Amino acid sequence: MIRRLRDNPAWQARLDIGLRVAAATIGGYFFTYACTAAMARLLPLARFDAVMVSSLLAFAVYTAVIVWVFAAASAWRAWLGIALALPLAIIGFWPGLFGSGA
Amino acid sequence: MPRVKSFTQSMAWLHSWAGLILGWLLFAIFLTGTLTIFDKEINWWSQPELRDQQVTQQEAARAAWNWLAREHGDAEVWNISLPTERAPVMSVSIGDNRRSGGKVLDPHSEALVPVRESAGGNFLYHFHYTLHMPRTFGIWVVGLAAMAMLTALVTGIVIHKRIFKDFFTFRPVKGRRAWLDGHNACAVLMLPFHLMITYTGLVIFVMIYMPAAVDALYDGNREAMFREARPLAEKGAEPRQGNERRDGGRQGNERGPRMVEQAPAAEMLPLESFIGKAESVFGPGMVASMTISHPGRANAVVSLRPLLGSRIALTKGVEVRFDAVSGKLLQAPLEPRASALTQQVMTGLHFAQFGGYPMRWLYFLCSGVSCAMIATGLVLFAMKQRLRTAEVNRGHTFLRVVDVLNIAVVAGLVLGCIGMLWANRLLPVELAGRAGWEESLFFGIWGVSLLHAGWRQPGAAWREQLGVAALLCLGLPLLGFLTQDAGAMDTTRLSLALVAVLIGLMLAWTAWRVGRPAATNGVPHEPTQHLAGAG
Repeated sequence: MIRRLRDNPAWQARLDIGLRVAAATIGGYFFTYACTAAMARLLPLARFDAVMVSSLLAFAVYTAVIVWVFAAASAWRAWLGIALALPLAIIGFWPGLFGSGA
Repeated sequence: MPRVKSFTQSMAWLHSWAGLILGWLLFAIFLTGTLTIFDKEINWWSQPELRDQQVTQQEAARAAWNWLAREHGDAEVWNISLPTERAPVMSVSIGDNRRSGGKVLDPHSEALVPVRESAGGNFLYHFHYTLHMPRTFGIWVVGLAAMAMLTALVTGIVIHKRIFKDFFTFRPVKGRRAWLDGHNACAVLMLPFHLMITYTGLVIFVMIYMPAAVDALYDGNREAMFREARPLAEKGAEPRQGNERRDGGRQGNERGPRMVEQAPAAEMLPLESFIGKAESVFGPGMVASMTISHPGRANAVVSLRPLLGSRIALTKGVEVRFDAVSGKLLQAPLEPRASALTQQVMTGLHFAQFGGYPMRWLYFLCSGVSCAMIATGLVLFAMKQRLRTAEVNRGHTFLRVVDVLNIAVVAGLVLGCIGMLWANRLLPVELAGRAGWEESLFFGIWGVSLLHAGWRQPGAAWREQLGVAALLCLGLPLLGFLTQDAGAMDTTRLSLALVAVLIGLMLAWTAWRVGRPAATNGVPHEPTQHLAGAG
C-alpha cells in the first residue's frame, strides 16, 4: 500500500489534495477557533469588546489559513502550520494563564 | 497537486474547485438573496387582496385599538403591526408570539380582511440562509458556501494579475474569452460589494460559526456576555428587553403565573398618541409595530419598535417603552457600545434595510452582478473541462455531471422562482396548505429541470430552460390581468411585473445567444460551441 502510494504519481497527487482539503477545512477551522480564542485573551480590551473584535476578525483568519494551506510547499508542511493551533489553544483556554479568567 | 506548481497556479486550482463545488450552492444563495431584497414587495404582489388604504399610522392604531378592545378585551398582550411605506397593511394579533402571523385588519371598516396564504418573499428569505433544510444545519451549509466564496474572491484577486486592465476589456464575440471577460468584469467591477456581502453574511451568525472567543472568555455563556455589555439595563426595573427578546415565548411562560393577580382596570392614553413619541426617538415614519401588555390595566405598557432600516445598524430587538396609562417613558433604547455597534452595522449592511428604495435598487443591481459572476464562473469551468476532456479523452462522466448541474442550478432555479409566482396566481385561493403547495411546486419545477438537463444535450437544455423561464417572466403581467386582479394594480405590483419583463428579456437574449447557430459555425474554437454543441 505504502509502496503503491510512493510509486504512483496519480495516487500521490490525490493524497496531496485530500490532505490539503482536510487541512484547509477541518484543520483550518480548529486553527481559526484557537486563534480567535487566543486573540480574545490577548487583546488589551474589555472582555466583551475583546470577544467581539476577535470574533469579527475570525473569518479573515480562516480565509488566510485556507489560502496558506494551498500555497504551502507540501501538504505535510501545511499540516505542520495547522499544528500551531495547539499553542494558540493553550493561550486561549489554559485557565489563568493570560488576563482575566473566565 | 504536484509540488512544482507556482503560487498563482495553486491559487487558480483552488479558485476553480472551491468555486465549482460550492458555486452551485452559492448561486442558489445569491439568487434568492437578490430576490429577498424585495421580499415585502413580493409578499405584497402575492396577496392581491391587499389594498393600500392610505391611512396614517395614527388612524391605523386607533382602528386596531377599537377592534382589539372589542374582540380581545381580556387578552394579556396585543400586537399591532402598523402600515409602513413598503407594506401599507395593518395586522393584529394577541399573545406573546407576535411573529406567528397576525390577521389583516381593514382600518376603515374595522373588519378582518381574508387574504390568500402564500409562500412568497418569506420563503425566499428563509431559503437564502437555510436552503430549506433544518435551520441550524442549513445555516452551517450556507456558512461553508460563504467561506468558499471568500476563498474564491481572494484567490481570484491573486490569479487576476491585470485586474485594472481587464476591467476595461470585453470581447463579446470571441467565445470563451467573452465568458472570461464577462466573469472578470462582474468580479472586478463589484469586488468591494462581493467581499462586503459575503463577509457581513458570515458576521450575522458569527456566534454560531465561531464561538471560540465566547467559549474562552465567558465559558460559552452568550447571555452572560450580552448582559455584561448592558450594565444599565441590569439595574433597570424591567428585565425584559434587548437581546433577551429572542426568547420571548419561553419568558412569556415564565411570566404566566405572575399574571394571575391582575392590576385594577385603568383608562389607557390613546394608543395613537405613542406613535409621535416613538418617532421622536426613531425618526419620522420609522415606527413599525407596537405591543401593549396588560391592556386596559393600571400596569399597561406600550412598547414600540422601529423599522429595521431606521439606521444602518440593524435594529433587531430595539424598542422604546411607555407607561400606557400615564404616558411616562419607561425605557429608551440603549446606545450599544462601539464593538457591538460594529457588528450591528456589519449585519445591517447585509440586510440592506437602510436608505430606502434607492439603496434597495443599488443592492439589487449589485447582487444581480454577483449572480452573473457565479453563473459565468460555472459556465467557464464547464468550458475548460470540455477542452481538457477532449484533449485527454477522459472524464466524460464528470463533464456530464458538471453540465447537468450547471443547467439545473442556474436555469432551473430561475425557472423555479418564476414558476412559484405563477403558482401564486394559478392555485385555487381557498386551497388548504396553499403556501406549502407553492413551495412544493418550486421544488418540483427544480426537479423537472434536473431531469430535463439530464435528458437533453447541454446546448438544447440551456436554450429550452432559459427560453421557458423568459416566457414565464414576460407573461407575468398578462397573468395578472387574466386572473381578476386588475384592480389590485398599484405602483409596487406594477413595478414587480415590469422587472419580471426586463428579466425575461435578458433571459430571452441569453437563450438566443446560447443557441445561435452562427456562433457555433464561425470560429473553430468558439466557446459557444463548447457550451452548446457538446452533442
